[in-house]
Parts: sequence; C-alpha cells; structure tokens
Amino acid sequence: MIHYVALLLYISALTLWVRSLLSGGRGKLAAFAFGIAAAGVFAHAAALARFTLLHGELPLVGLAPSLSTLALVIGAGLLATIGLGEVRRVGIVLIPLVILMEGLAVALGVQPAEGVLDFQGAWFALHVTLAFAGFGGMAVAFSAAVLYLLQFSTLKAKRLGAAFRFLPPLATLDRLGRIGLVAGLIALTLGLALGWAWTVRFRNSFQPTDPQVIWGMLTWTVFVSALVMRGRGSQHERRGALATVVGFTVVVVSYVVLRLAASTGGFFL
Amino acid sequence: MTLAVVGVSHHTAPVEARERFAFGNAEAIRALGGLREEAGLHEAVLISTCNRTELYFYPAADPAALEAGAAVLRNKAEGVEGSADRYLYRKQGLDSVRHLYCVSAGLDSMVLGEAEIQGQVKVAYELATRVPVKPSMAGPVLHRLFQTALSVGGRVRSETTIGQGAASVATVAVELAGKIFGSLESRRALILGAGANAELVAEALTRHGMRGILVANRTHERAVDMAERLEGAAIPYDDLPSRLEEVDILVTSTAAPHAVLSLEAVRGALPQGRGRPLLIIDLAIPRDVEPAVGSEPNVFLYNVDDLREIVDDTLDRRKDVLPVAERIIENEVEAFRRWYAGRQVVPLIRSLRGRWDGMRDQELQWLWQRLGHLSPDDREMVERFSERLLGKLLHEPTVRLREGAVNGRVADFVEAVRYLHDLDPAGLDLAQDEDEDPADPAEPEPESLTESDET
Repeated sequence: MIHYVALLLYISALTLWVRSLLSGGRGKLAAFAFGIAAAGVFAHAAALARFTLLHGELPLVGLAPSLSTLALVIGAGLLATIGLGEVRRVGIVLIPLVILMEGLAVALGVQPAEGVLDFQGAWFALHVTLAFAGFGGMAVAFSAAVLYLLQFSTLKAKRLGAAFRFLPPLATLDRLGRIGLVAGLIALTLGLALGWAWTVRFRNSFQPTDPQVIWGMLTWTVFVSALVMRGRGSQHERRGALATVVGFTVVVVSYVVLRLAASTGGFFL
Repeated sequence: MTLAVVGVSHHTAPVEARERFAFGNAEAIRALGGLREEAGLHEAVLISTCNRTELYFYPAADPAALEAGAAVLRNKAEGVEGSADRYLYRKQGLDSVRHLYCVSAGLDSMVLGEAEIQGQVKVAYELATRVPVKPSMAGPVLHRLFQTALSVGGRVRSETTIGQGAASVATVAVELAGKIFGSLESRRALILGAGANAELVAEALTRHGMRGILVANRTHERAVDMAERLEGAAIPYDDLPSRLEEVDILVTSTAAPHAVLSLEAVRGALPQGRGRPLLIIDLAIPRDVEPAVGSEPNVFLYNVDDLREIVDDTLDRRKDVLPVAERIIENEVEAFRRWYAGRQVVPLIRSLRGRWDGMRDQELQWLWQRLGHLSPDDREMVERFSERLLGKLLHEPTVRLREGAVNGRVADFVEAVRYLHDLDPAGLDLAQDEDEDPADPAEPEPESLTESDET
C-alpha cells in the first residue's frame, strides 16, 4: 500500500515538473514538485523499512525488492540536491527512472525471494548498497547529462523558449554530472571489491563469466570511460555529457540482456 | 474621487524635454515640502525616472488644485523648448489610480513589463514619507494608493509572464551568459571594440559579478578608457586570437568593414578545438565574426539580429499577456474605488461610536456607584463585557454603512443614522477628509498596509 502512495507522489511530482517546464520554470511549481518528490522518497523508504521489519531481511535480494531499493537510492540522490536551487530540476529526468523501477517492482510484487539464506550478512548488504549507490550516482550524472545536452541544443539553435528558462545553466549541470560520476565510481569500486571478497569468502569461487561480474565490470568501465572522455577539469563538457548518456544506456541495455540470459535467474539483480 | 496625477513621460516628450522635468531626490523632497502650504495639496508623491516625472496628489477637487500640481512640473522644466505644458498629461479620479497601477506593473514603460519601475515607485513613496512635514505627505489616500500599486505590480509579474525573458540586447547577453556559465564571477570576458553597445553589455556583465574584463580596440587609448570605467584591463588589439582560449565570453563591436574573426583564425587559435563553451556576442554591422564560427563545437555565436529577434520575441510574448494584466489592474482599481468610497462614512461611524461610547461610560459610572463592592478583576470583566456588547451591536451597522457608501447611497444613510441617533450634523461633512479609518468595532484591527505587501 505504501509503495502505491510513493508511486502516486512520484507521478504527481513529475506532472508538476512537466508543467513547470512548459511554463519556463515560472512560479513555485518546480519547488513544489521537489517537495512532493521528497515526500515520495520518504514514503518509499517507509515501505522498504516495513518490508525489512516484516520479513527480517533487507530488500536487497530478488528482482522486485532490489529494483525498489535501487529506485529509493536514486530518489535519495535527488534529495541530495535539496540546497542547490535550480539543480533540483534534474528531478524531471530522475523521477521517471524512479517511477519506472518502482512501478516494475510493484508490478512484480515486492516480496522476499525464496532460498536466499546465502545472501545475508553485513558484507553482502554493504556490497549491494555500495553498488546501488554507484548506480544512483550514475543516474544523477545521466540526468544532468540529458539536461546538459538539451540546454546545449537550445542554445545552439537559439531557441530561448520555455525549456531554455527551465533548464539550469550548462556549467551547473556539468558540475553535477562530474560529482555524480566521481561519487558513483568510488561507491561502485568499493562495492565491487566487497562483492569479490564476499564471493571468495563465502562461495570459495570467483567466476569471471558470471553475468553479475560481467555487468559490474562493464558498469565500472563505463564510469571510467565517461570520466576520461570529460578530460581533466571538464575540458570537454559536451563530450563528457554524451559519454555519460551513452554509457548509462549501455549499462541499462546490457543489464536487460544479461538478465534475460542469466542462468542464475532471480538472484541476479 | 479627488485624486489626480500630472506628468510627463516617454509617451509625451522626447528625452531632451524629459530630462528638464527630472527631479533629484533632494529636489523632490523640497518640491513636495511646500505643496501643502502653497497649493493646499494635503498629500503628494513625486515619481521621477529617466522615462517619466509624475506628481500624484490629493485632494484635487477643483481645476485650481490640478493647476497647482501642474505648476510644480512646469516650474522645474524652465528652459524646455516651447511650452512645457504641451508635454504634460493630467488624469483624475480612477484614471489616475489606473495609471499608477499600470506604471507600477510596467505596462506604461518604454520596455513593456520591465521591473525596475516598481523599485522606483517604492523609492518615490519613501521620499514622500521623508518630507519634513506633519502629517506625512504620503497621507492615508496616497499611502493606500502606492502600497496597492506595489502590490498590483507584484501580482501582475507573478501571475503573468509579463516580466519573463530578456527585453534588451544587454539583458539577453547576460541571460545567455548565465544559462551557459551559471555564476559569472570566475569567468572572463573580452570586449573587442570600444563602442557604446559593447560597453552596455560589459556593464551588464559587471553588474552580474564579472570582474577583470579585457578590452581591445584599434585605438588603444579608447580601450584603456573603457577598461578603466569597467575596472578591467586593456590589451593590444592584435592579441585577440591568442586570448580566445582563456576567455569565456567575447563581445565584438568594431567598425571594421569586414569580419575580424574568421573560422580559420579560430581554428588556428584553438587547434585542439574548444572543450569549454565560448559565448560570442557580435554586435557589429557588418558582422565582426564569420557565421561559420558558430558551427564550431562549444561555440555559441549570437549576432545582433539574433539578439533583436530574441528581444522582439520576448516583447511579443509580453504583449500577449496584456489582457490578463489589464484584468488584474481593473479588479484592483475597483477594489480601490470601494475602499475610497467606504472612507466617506468614516466621520459618521466615528460619531456613532463616540456617542455610544459616551453612553457606555455613563452607564458604567452609574453601575460602579451601586456595586462598589466589586473587586478590580470583576470591574474589568464588566468593562470588557460592555465593550464587547457595544462592538457587536455596532458591527452590522458599520458594515452596512460602508456597503451603502460603496453603492452610492451614502447621503440617505447618513441622514437616517443621524436622525435615529441624534448625532451632531456638524461633524458629518461627507467631503471631509479623514486621516484615520476607524476600525469596525466587532472586528480585529485590520492589518496595516506596510511594505511587506510588495511582492
């Protein structure tokens, strides 16, 4: 039930953001949208806390709980922009991602996976949380990059309409993208290292062909590539934004492909 | 309504005439200071900007008062070519209210919807409050008029898009720079050509936090002069290509008969391409920058036609919302009319309240003589009871009297109330101006109209 409330709040926030975009960011619509989205994140967190209390495990295993948690992490990434004024408008890209993931999780049913005793303990929880935080950082960078490219194209085309006024400055979006990538890369690197250690420690094996390992390494490579493409000190802002968008798309598409082909079934995120 | 405005503006006078009518702050205070004694104008506020000088005053019951207001402006404009009177306009009653609301909302401005005028209206009101006379020249009527004008200006800007977008070449340049670079404080700009338009853009950039602007000009001395005014630095004209990598904004405005910045020169100066955005504002005719430069990655090139198109587009969009803005203003003019009409019954309400308060005091004295044993707390309770009862009894008549005044039935009401309550007719002159508006006895004190009303 609380998941539905969170979804409803997310959808309301998105509606307000779209209206704000159409009106060129006039008035307090965008700020109101952020407030509603924040309420959605809190409701979402409450729903997952209830899951944990009810089932005695963190919602980190199984597709639906994992997707929901990942959506929450991205929502939390949006909340982190609370004091950054216009930057909060990245919500117009982040919230659809959250709605998509949370909607999918709700459709699948946020229930604990069966036979997951293996996937318990602090190491595993930390590994997954850090990996999610890494993905959350990439999602923030992706949102900033999408808005950067939009603002860039309006400026190049000299169309100074509603979108131009709604979107934050290029430099601000570039900075946010860089922060998202750097923070995400650090979290993902730690998460992958812990995952490797956990596999060796508890499973006594490390299979490089495991879809999870392939996806994790691919995501890590995408992060590094996007940062390298930007150049030192944001020398190539637009190139960096393009690389981030392409990289994020590659990560999502490869996930879907691997997920469909995965032999480990429900245990792959 | 005996309220009027006499003024001169960009609609009626060219700049060389308008500047003759302009008042400095000290001059305005001096001019307002003598009006009550010399011309019988109890309240007056003077707005003086580069585009208008307007005197709002009250009362203006007869042509002589109107003439006295006009004389203030006429006297200031001594030396203006021809008769100063031909530039002046006069508005009375609700027309003057509507006019100020339009002015405050930017509807009467040279650049439709510009916001600066609202601050200037506020300054004008504050100047009137500083005139050393008692009571204030910004008395109750003009206080109400100007506070509501500021509020109307805020409403029009917040409820419509009249203030959105950039409406001059300089503001377009600043808006573009802001949307590319965010804060301008750590950015660098190079001004090529020491023309007036380029300087306007440079000044606008400086106002938005940019420091250390570089200036280059064929005549180096002119570059030095402009750099000094902008607190920047002059560089040799031929340094342009080598400086391209370090600057974020380039404003060109030379008188060269051909392009001074070619694609070849840009590529030569930036062999690795441009990673960071570069905003080029080309204000020159013929253009200083080859159009092909705009197709370079990360280069945003805007020439003077692009900027004019943006300005025209902004102004067109502002015109589209004029009907909405005018509707807001008409509603507010009607609200002012109602408030003003309600003032006519103020003497009657005051008299009525005085009479009943007197009776209440008499009856309380009678009561205290018979109930001498009451404690102070009990006495206070009885007093409060009598106050509350009187307030409730007078609430409805007060409301009805105000409504009657608003609906134009004030004379009948005054006569009836005076007869029923045996009030002294001497204090009930409807034309009398009141400085205070007695509160409805059963209602809480109304919120005072302070500057916080301005949005």
